[in-house]
Amino acid sequence: MVFRFRIPSHWRAKPFRYRLIVYRCEDCGMVHQYPAIICRKCRSTRLRHTQLPQTAKLLSFTVVRQAPVGFEELAPYIVGVVEFEDGTRLVTQLTDCEPEELKIGMEVEAVVRKITQDGPSGLIIYGFKFRPRIV
Amino acid sequence: MRDLVKITGIAIHGYGGYVPRYRIKSEEIARVWGKGEGELPVKEKTVNNLDEDTITMAIEAAKYAIARAEIDPKKIGAVNIGSESHPYAVKPSGTIVAEALGTSPSIFSADFEFACKAGSEAMQMIIGLVGSGMIEYGIAIGSDTAQGRPGDALEYTAAAGAAAFVIGKTGNNVAAEFEASKSYVTDMPDFWRRDYERYPVHTSRFTGEPAYFHHTLSAINALMEEDGYKLSDFDYFIFHQPNAKFPYVAAKMLGIPIQKVEPGMLSHIIGNTYSACSLLGLVKVLDEAKPGQRILITSYGSGAGSDSFVLKVCEGIIEKRQKAPTLARLLQRATYIDYARYLRHRDKIRV
Ligand SMILES: [Zn+2]
Repeated sequence: MVFRFRIPSHWRAKPFRYRLIVYRCEDCGMVHQYPAIICRKCRSTRLRHTQLPQTAKLLSFTVVRQAPVGFEELAPYIVGVVEFEDGTRLVTQLTDCEPEELKIGMEVEAVVRKITQDGPSGLIIYGFKFRPRIV
Repeated sequence: MRDLVKITGIAIHGYGGYVPRYRIKSEEIARVWGKGEGELPVKEKTVNNLDEDTITMAIEAAKYAIARAEIDPKKIGAVNIGSESHPYAVKPSGTIVAEALGTSPSIFSADFEFACKAGSEAMQMIIGLVGSGMIEYGIAIGSDTAQGRPGDALEYTAAAGAAAFVIGKTGNNVAAEFEASKSYVTDMPDFWRRDYERYPVHTSRFTGEPAYFHHTLSAINALMEEDGYKLSDFDYFIFHQPNAKFPYVAAKMLGIPIQKVEPGMLSHIIGNTYSACSLLGLVKVLDEAKPGQRILITSYGSGAGSDSFVLKVCEGIIEKRQKAPTLARLLQRATYIDYARYLRHRDKIRV
């Protein structure tokens, strides 16, 4: 069987994709999505493993109609930039909403959803998306 | 009142229910299949979003259950998930759910299958693990995105939802304590799906009397006889809900007032959520029950069997209820879709 996906990199991305676990540089603040030994920005070795908050503010969004390979079945879908309390920004899909329901500055929350799948017999990739917060 | 208590010192610390945002009305399905006349089994049902499946809904419900339990996920010793729609035929759902919740890898995890009874048996196994002292806390989940063949009677009811419960030793601040549990199973040819088949088949001859009613009532009657309960001991009765009618028929057969059945009813507005069905009824009741009240919940799964549990609501329920969105809040999100969009959400369009 031929896999379109690079399975090892998906496997390594689990902590970030499932729970927003990141590696933050203690010196320059740079956030790394994968386990890292040296900061990509300042070469510091003082990296701390931490979990980003589960809620954020919506900074911007757009609707993707011409989807890249692997996302065709989902189009049209919404991609946005969200900002956490500490200023960290993240590009993410937005789900459980229509574009007209979104307002810049609104509170959104992390959920785990199906991101894509490698055809009908390949791996299903799960990971975070954000949706308008349910309170 | 009773001389034999089956379960002692085990309680629900947190509970959570999840239903997707989308709904389809039965009349919309009937319009497509030219079945406008006649009685429809439910009013409307939930439909999963394009990116939702049994695993993602299990995670949503479990996160709410953990929020209400107010425990560190690292204290969870088991993640059990019951479903008839596990996304993989081979590759456990439980491990994905456990990692998404942030449990330790040193846990028990099992995927259960028993048609609509899989969620309640996941719960029984957690009760056993906590009771034996093998784990401190365990999480039991029922989750399903059930499939019905287009045009089939099941298409009106096969819905999507999840319910999760954090179970541990009882304490000062628990939601409800388990008092007893009984099961009743027989080999029953009422509903099945063969390997590699996409849709289940059912034999209408067996659906009601020998299947649903016989197993449901047998499990309840066994509790009454062996554990010395009387039907008047209960404030709420929750049943499996393959349609909006069967629970009321069962209540009539038992002689239970319908006022004690109504609070746990959901299928008229969300359909049959299979493994999550009776458990979501429990979530709805826990959202409104008062400390000291007693609940009898009985699942039913084709093939066939019923698990019945007696629960006593505790003081902790008042405070815990506020720690996550109620089911009523989730139901408010209802957004209606037409049959064409429904086909897309249910992955019935093959290109
Ligand atoms: Zn740095």
